[in-house]
Order: sequence, then structure tokens, then C-alpha cells
Amino acid sequence: MAGTDTVQEIELIIEDIGGGGGGVRPPGGGDDGDSDDSGKRRNQRPASPKRYSTAIGLALVSVLMFFMALTSAFIVLRAKSDRWMPVHLPRILWINTIILLASSATLELARRRLSNADLPGFTKYWRATTVLGVLFLFGQLVAWRQLVVQGVYVASSQASSFFYIFTAAHGLHLLGGVAALAYVLLRKFETAKVSRSTAAEVTSYYWHFMDALWVFLLALLYIGK
Amino acid sequence: MYSVRGRGHGSAPGAYAGPKRGKFTHDHESNSAEVSKTGFLARYLFSKDHKVVGLQYLWLALFSVFLAMGMSLLMRIHLVWPSAQIPFLANLSGTPERYAALMMLHGSLMVFLVLTAAPQAGFGNYFLPLQIGAREMAFPILNIIAFWFTTTSLVGMAAAFFSSAEKGLNLWIASVTLFCLASLLNAINFSVTTIDLRAKGMTLPRLPVTVWAWFINAILGMLIFSILLAACAALLSDRLLGTGFFPELGYWAGQPAAVRQLALPILWQRLFWFFAQAEVYVAMLPCFGLITHLVSTFARRPVWRERLVVLALCAVGVFGFCVWGQHMFASGMNPYSPLVFSVLASSLGLPASILLISWLGTLWDARFALNTSMLFAIGFISLFLSGGLSGIFLARQDLAAAATSDDFITGHFHLVMGVAATFAILAALFFWFPKMFGRRLNESLGKAHFWLTFAGVYCVFMPMHWLGLIAHSRPAAGGALAAIPTAGSSIRTFITVATLVTVAAQLLFLFNFLWSVFFARETNEANPWRATTLEWSVSSPPPDDDFGAADPVVYRGAYEFSLPGAAEDFLPQHVSPEEASRAR
Repeated sequence: MAGTDTVQEIELIIEDIGGGGGGVRPPGGGDDGDSDDSGKRRNQRPASPKRYSTAIGLALVSVLMFFMALTSAFIVLRAKSDRWMPVHLPRILWINTIILLASSATLELARRRLSNADLPGFTKYWRATTVLGVLFLFGQLVAWRQLVVQGVYVASSQASSFFYIFTAAHGLHLLGGVAALAYVLLRKFETAKVSRSTAAEVTSYYWHFMDALWVFLLALLYIGK
Repeated sequence: MYSVRGRGHGSAPGAYAGPKRGKFTHDHESNSAEVSKTGFLARYLFSKDHKVVGLQYLWLALFSVFLAMGMSLLMRIHLVWPSAQIPFLANLSGTPERYAALMMLHGSLMVFLVLTAAPQAGFGNYFLPLQIGAREMAFPILNIIAFWFTTTSLVGMAAAFFSSAEKGLNLWIASVTLFCLASLLNAINFSVTTIDLRAKGMTLPRLPVTVWAWFINAILGMLIFSILLAACAALLSDRLLGTGFFPELGYWAGQPAAVRQLALPILWQRLFWFFAQAEVYVAMLPCFGLITHLVSTFARRPVWRERLVVLALCAVGVFGFCVWGQHMFASGMNPYSPLVFSVLASSLGLPASILLISWLGTLWDARFALNTSMLFAIGFISLFLSGGLSGIFLARQDLAAAATSDDFITGHFHLVMGVAATFAILAALFFWFPKMFGRRLNESLGKAHFWLTFAGVYCVFMPMHWLGLIAHSRPAAGGALAAIPTAGSSIRTFITVATLVTVAAQLLFLFNFLWSVFFARETNEANPWRATTLEWSVSSPPPDDDFGAADPVVYRGAYEFSLPGAAEDFLPQHVSPEEASRAR
């Protein structure tokens, strides 16, 4: 109705000048992160997508601390040990590293496509990233298999324990990353709380971090032999 | 009165003028008969409402504190009357393993489920969004997950107690791992909420000190719980998969008892204390924030040197991160490191002193109401001072082992962490009870409970310092001083009797709390304490979406009390300058 539209227009203008947050909102504003659609959450400022970037940043700090605890344990035990039996790193680990680095590259290509509003291009590269991520995980399992065939199990020595716990912890985190990649690939973002670009951005931070972490862990295991 | 006039945030239930939004017109549970289309599970057990989650944590903490107090009672009774036969509980403290299990469970329940859950997850979840003007936590679903992880870890720990030693320990470690995950989720939620969801005008300098404390605590928690998670994962891997991350643990476990006593599992100690020392500050930081807030509100004074207080809180967080070695003086680590850790640990006295001086400075020349909440707050200051002073001795690496025994340490940390923190929780409870439930706790019962508990805890924990000191005394036999070690047993009996009385006195509180929650008269006062922060600008209990129709706007800091020339002795944060000048 005309009257309502005018009122809404005026209120929107007032909103604009006030910079948001000051007065009564017209109903129908953005929801605030609660999908309970009984109308309970209608009159608020829209959910800031910034919260997701902040969250992933802080979460990555936590993950870093987790791996740093294990790393410090590794360094201490390695230095103290007089009978260190180094694990011969299977060759496939280097291939896996290349795969993971490639997946980071395709991830960035995908995001660039997205910012140019090229959705098919985005989907193509994002799918490639997901596939490469899954390939990496399979490659890790192959590496484990190769070690088991050689008779190196998780409890064989301290060195092998560290190898397995580092790769397992990293692999588990990466699995979560793959799940996030799949989510971004498959979700219909018209009905989602977050936009595709926000989700892609947050996932990319996580993925690149996991990539860098893997390079660090591999270097640690290699130098620590 | 600002809290009654203005935007219609009245003191009658649901009296604020917001547009009817169909289903959810009012706020609290008692009014929902005709409107709720969500069931019991969704409203009470799996609610995304941060207020419900906060209350859930408080109920969890209430249950845990009484369970853990019961265990401490069993321990004390066994210490002094080992042959006493208690019906149904005879086999719970009879053997050394059972006693050790009691002690471990008492400690884990208190530190994790009470001291970490109640002030941070409980009050924080309820009041952080309210105090910063947000309507919810940043990630409500993470909140639900974190709460149920915490509950599962409590069940696991309790179940561990009744299992065999081997299985029980595995279950306990797994429960602690789950608790770490829950705490990490909570920490992320709190941090992101404080960073991103503040209302318009709520700049960082205007944050209430309680919010600062929760925020700094969340950052600290994010750093340290990952460490414990890693350590527990490695320990579980050792126990279940046969790995050798902590070879000394496995090696020493197989040695005879006399050798075991000298065991020094260094790596585990490093990792554990890196977490655990910072964890005690995780327990204390929210309490510091709460007491600062309460003292200011009840004394009707701004926080004395508010920015310095916030800096001191940050310093506690940073320093707490750096002093893990103070628990490892005798562990055989590098001989120069005890000096470093000693210096760092002693320097924690600086932020602690700043806080104490601020509290005393706020109270200086003030006329404050001595209601139960304020009594507990002042009790906190007393206990923190008493307990903290003994910490100065413990920070000295040359004194600690040579001059004191475990009892000294037990007295110290119980006074600061156990009792002072509990007093802060109780002070906060008496303060925020009217907001959470729209009713008041009984003041007479509250005061009686306070005095009994205050006297009781001093009687329980102060003599422990003495016991700790005389344990190393070596008087010549036959001299007058020879009577000192034998006095130990009568002191122990005294402590046990005092424990019995103090634990019994807690029933006063339990009755007060439970009765008031369900049967006290609903007064629904929006701002009974005439406080300034945002949670007092809404009805009691707050509406489902916290602030009704309009998002709050903040115009000033949180401690504008007793401004010269003002009509009232307080100026709430949300009152605009026009309204304030109109009221003058």
C-alpha cells in the first residue's frame, strides 16, 4: 500500500542518517542469525558477516596452539632422546604436498572468479579444490599404509608416534576443511544466513592455514629425523 | 528514575511497549502457555537463547559444587576419623586409590565445572550480550553444543569415579578432553561476540569491567585449552595405543612406591602446568571483573582508575600465561629457570595490588549498602588478600619446598580459588538474581549464610597454613616446642569439624536459592540496585530477544555514579544526553 511504502521509505532514510541502531526499525529487516522464523528476530540490525572472519581467525589461533603443544613435545623429546629411530618419510608425502599447494591455488582462482561474479568458473575451480583435498587425504592414508607394510606402527617408536599423531591431527582438521568446501559447493545460498563470498572467504582462510601447517609439519618431521 | 520511565521498560511484567509480533509478546517462561509453539526440549534444553544457556550452566555448577563439597567432606572425615563407618559410603574412601580418586574428582569438578563454568559460561553467557547491547551470542548453536559437551564431560567424570582405576582414568581423560573442546567453543563465542556484536556507542572504553574480564578470559581460554587438549590426546594415545609420548609416566608407574615418590615426569608437567597455571587465572578473572563492578555499583562510585584496572586484568592474563614453571621448581629443569619463573610469579603481585587498591579506592569515603551481595564482595576482597599473601611465599623457589608442605599450598589455593571465587559467584548471584528471575533472594537468610560461611572458611583454610609450616619443624624431643607436631592432629580435627559446619551452612543457601526461584513473590523490578549497565534497562526477566523493539544505544561509560550536580546518583549507559538533562 502506498502509505506503508512511504512510511517505510521515510524510516529507511532516517535509519540511513542515524547510521543504524538508533530507532525503531520497520518490520522485515535482516535477521540476526536465528533461523527461527516466528518473527521473533525481525527488528534488528542485520547479522554482520564480520563475525565469521573474526571467529575463524581466533579458531585458527587455537588450532595453532594445539599443534604448537605437540611440536614443543616433539622438540623436547627429540632433543632428549638418545635412541631416536627416525621414520623414513614415504615419497608420496611430497606428492601430497604438491596436491595440497595446488588446491590452495585453485581455491584462490575460484574466489577470484566469484568476485567477478563468474559463478560457473567459481564452481569449477572450487570443485577442483575439493577433489584435490580429498586426493590429499587419500594420499595420507596411502602413506600410512606404506609405513604399516614396512612394519612402522603408531607405537613402534617415539618418532613413529609423532609421525602418526601429527598426520592424524592434521588430517582430521583437513577433513573438517573438506566438509566446509563441500558445504560451500553444494549449499543454495539464496536461503542461507551467510553469503557465498563470506563462506568462501572464511573457508579459504582455514584451508590456506591447513596448507601452511602441513608444510611446517613436513619440514619439522624431515628436519627432525 | 531512569529505569522506570523512558522507553516503557517498566517494572511490571512485559509492560514495555513493543509492537506485538504475533507469537512472542512477552518474555519469561511463566507466560508462554498460549504462545509457545516450541516444546519443552527446544525451550529449556536446547534453546538458542543465551539466557537459557547461561542458566543451564549455573544449574550445572550448583549441582557440581554440592557434589564436590560432599567429596571434600568425605576426605576430611577420613583424614581425621579413618575408622568411621558411614552408611552407603564406606567403600568410597577406604583405600588409597579410592581416596586419590575422591581428591581428583573433587578437584576436577570444582575447577572445571564450578570455577570455570559458573562465572564465565554461566553469568557470562547470560549477561555478556545484555551488557554490550547484543541480542544473542555470535554463534547460538555453538553455545548449545558447548553446553552439552560440558554436561557430558561431567557425566563422564562422575562415571569415572565409580569405574576401576584403569578404565576410570581413561574415562576421566576423555571427559577432560571433551571439556576442553567445550571451553574452546565458548571462548570463540565470547570473543567474537565482544568484538563484533557491540551495540551502537558501546566503544571499548565504555565496556563494563565485567565484559573486559570475560573477554580477556576468553582469549586466554582459547590459548590454553588447546594445550590441555593436545596433552590429553597424547596421554590417551599413550594409554590406549601404547605410544610413548610420556615415557616416564609408564616407566614410573611400574616402580615400587618408594621410587615412585621421587618420580619427575617432566614433559607431562610442562604441558599440564602450562595449561593449569593459566587456568587458575581463567577461574579468577571473571571474579575480578564481577567484584570491581559490584563494589562500584554498591558504593555509588566510579571504578577508581578504571583504565588501570582493565590494564591490570590484561596483565593477569599475560603473566598467568608465563608462570607455569613455578610448579616445577623441584622437577629438575634447568637450574636457572626457577629464578625466572619466581620473578614472573612474584610480579603478578603488581596487577593484584592494582586491583586491590582500586577496590579500596572505590570504597574510600563511600556510603555503601551492606546487602548480601556487597557482603560477599567485601568477603571476596578479604579472602583474596589473605590467600594471596601466602602466594608471595610460594612464588619463592627457595622457600616453597623447604619451608612448607602440601597443606600450606592447599590452604593458599583454596582461599583464593576455592573460597574467594565462590564468594564472587555468590555476590554475582545475589546481584543478578532479581534480573534473572524477577524475584529477590531472602536477605536475612543470605546474611546468615554469609557470616557462617565467612567464619567457617577461615577456620577451615587458615589453620592449613600453620600445618604446612610446622610439618618441617624439627624441635628437640622433650622441649616445649616438641608439642607442636603433635598439635597437628588436633588442628586437623578442628579443620574437619569446621568443614562439617561450613558445608552444613551451605544448605541455608541451597534452601534460599531453590525456594526463592520457585516461591518468592514476583516483584519484577527492572533496576532494584539503581545500576547503570544495559541489562538493567530491560524488564526482569529480560524479554526473549533481550531488548524489545529497539536496539540499545550507549552514550557513556558504565560507572557514572554520584556525578556532581546531577539529580540522581547514577546515570545509566543507555540514557541519551537529552533525557539526562531533562531529568536534572
